[in-house]
Amino acid sequence: MTLNLCVLTPNRIVWDSEVKEIILSTNSGQIGVLPNHAPIATAVDIGILRIRLNDQWLTMALMGGFARIGNNKITILVNDAEKSSDIDPEEAQQTLEIAEANLTKAEGKRQLIEANLSLRRARTRVEAINMLAQ
Amino acid sequence: MAMAALRREGRRFATPLLSSPIRSSIISHSHEEVANGVRSISTQVVRNRMKSVKNIQKITKAMKMVAASKLRAIQTRTENSRGLWQPFTALLGDAPSVDVKKSVIVTISSDKGLCGGINSTSVKISRVLHKLSSGPEKETKYVILGEKAKAQLLRDSKQDISLSITELQKNPLNYTQNVEFDALKIVFNKFHSVVQFMPTVSTVLSPEIMERESEAGGKLGELDSYEIEGAETKGEVLQNLAEFQFSCILFNGVLENACSEQGARMSAMDSSSRNAGDMLDRLTLTYNRTRQASITTELIEIISGASALEG
Repeated sequence: MTLNLCVLTPNRIVWDSEVKEIILSTNSGQIGVLPNHAPIATAVDIGILRIRLNDQWLTMALMGGFARIGNNKITILVNDAEKSSDIDPEEAQQTLEIAEANLTKAEGKRQLIEANLSLRRARTRVEAINMLAQ
Repeated sequence: MAMAALRREGRRFATPLLSSPIRSSIISHSHEEVANGVRSISTQVVRNRMKSVKNIQKITKAMKMVAASKLRAIQTRTENSRGLWQPFTALLGDAPSVDVKKSVIVTISSDKGLCGGINSTSVKISRVLHKLSSGPEKETKYVILGEKAKAQLLRDSKQDISLSITELQKNPLNYTQNVEFDALKIVFNKFHSVVQFMPTVSTVLSPEIMERESEAGGKLGELDSYEIEGAETKGEVLQNLAEFQFSCILFNGVLENACSEQGARMSAMDSSSRNAGDMLDRLTLTYNRTRQASITTELIEIISGASALEG
C-alpha cells in the first residue's frame, strides 16, 4: 500500500508519483504521513517536505500552500516548490544573504512583511540543501 | 507609345476643364458607371483603394502571426495551471446556485480590441448573472478586470461597479482592496481549443458561507470528515482555504482568458485577411474594366478625330 503524492504549483506539476512516507511541515508543526492516514486538510507553511521512496529520503522546499490527505492520496498545492537537487548551493546562500540584508533595510509594514517572507523562503532553500547533504 | 503620350496629354487637359463639385460627383460614380467618358481619374481612385486594402491585409496577416506565437507561449502555462484548481473542486464541489446576500461578479476581459466576440459574451453573461442574483434583499456588485468590459459595463451599470483593474500585465494584482462578498462568481472564457472558447463561471464562496453550507450537508459536508490541522479553529483554516482557492481560480481564469483572447484574435484577423483578399480580387476586376474602358474611349476619340480630319 503506497501513498500517491501530487505536488502542484501554479506553473507546473512538480511531483506526481507514489511514495512510501512523507514529512510535511504545517502551521502547527511537522506531521508524518504513512499509508492509511486519517483524512486531513491542512495549511502548509514555508518549509521542507521530505519524501521517502524505498529507504531513500528526498527533500523539497515548499513556499506555503495547502495540503489534503485523502485515502492514500496526498495533494499538496503550493505557491512554489523546488527539489533540493535543483537548487544551487551558492546561489541559495547568496539569496539568503540578500534577503537578510533586505530585512534590515525594510521600512514600512508591507516591506517588512515581504522581506520576512523572502527571508523565510531563502532560509528554507538553504535548509533543503543542507538536509540533502546529511 | 503614342497612345500613352496622348493619354497623358488628355489627363493634363481634363483637370482644368472640370470644376471641383462636378469632378467629385464624377469620381463617386466612376466605380459603377464604366463608359461615361471620364478618363484616367477613375483608375487612379481604384488603384488607391487597392493599395489601402493591400496594406490592411498585410497588417491583419502580421497580427494573426503575432497572436499565434503569443498563444503558443501562454497555452502551456494555462494547461499547467489547470491542475491547481481541480483539487478544490474535488474537495469543495462547485456551488453556483448558493443563495447569498452579497454576490460579487468578477468579469475578466481583455485590454486590447480586435479579438472577436469574447468580451461581449463575457459581459452578456455577467449581466445575466447580475439579474439572476439581484433581488429584494440581495445585492450584486461588479469587479472588472480589463478595459473592454469596463467600457461596456460603464454604460449601463455604473453604480454597481465596485472596483475595476486594467493593464494586468503591468500592474500585478494585489489583494489590498477590500471587497466584501459572500459568493464570488468569476466569469471568463475558457480555452478549449484554438477555435472554441466557452464562457465559464467559477464560484468561490466566502468562509462563512462555506461553514454554513458544510453544516447543511452535501458535497461540502464531506469537508467535516477531514480533520483540520494547522490552526486552532476550523474557521481560520477555512479562511486560508478560501483565500488560496480564490487566488488559484483567479490565476487560472486570467490565463485562460488571455489564451482565448489570442485565439479569438487569430481567427478574427484570419477572416479579415481573407475578406481583404476577396475585396482585392473584386477591385482588380473593376480596375481592369475601367482601364480598358478608358483606352477604348481614347481610341474612339482619336479615330473619330482622325477620320474627321481626313474626310
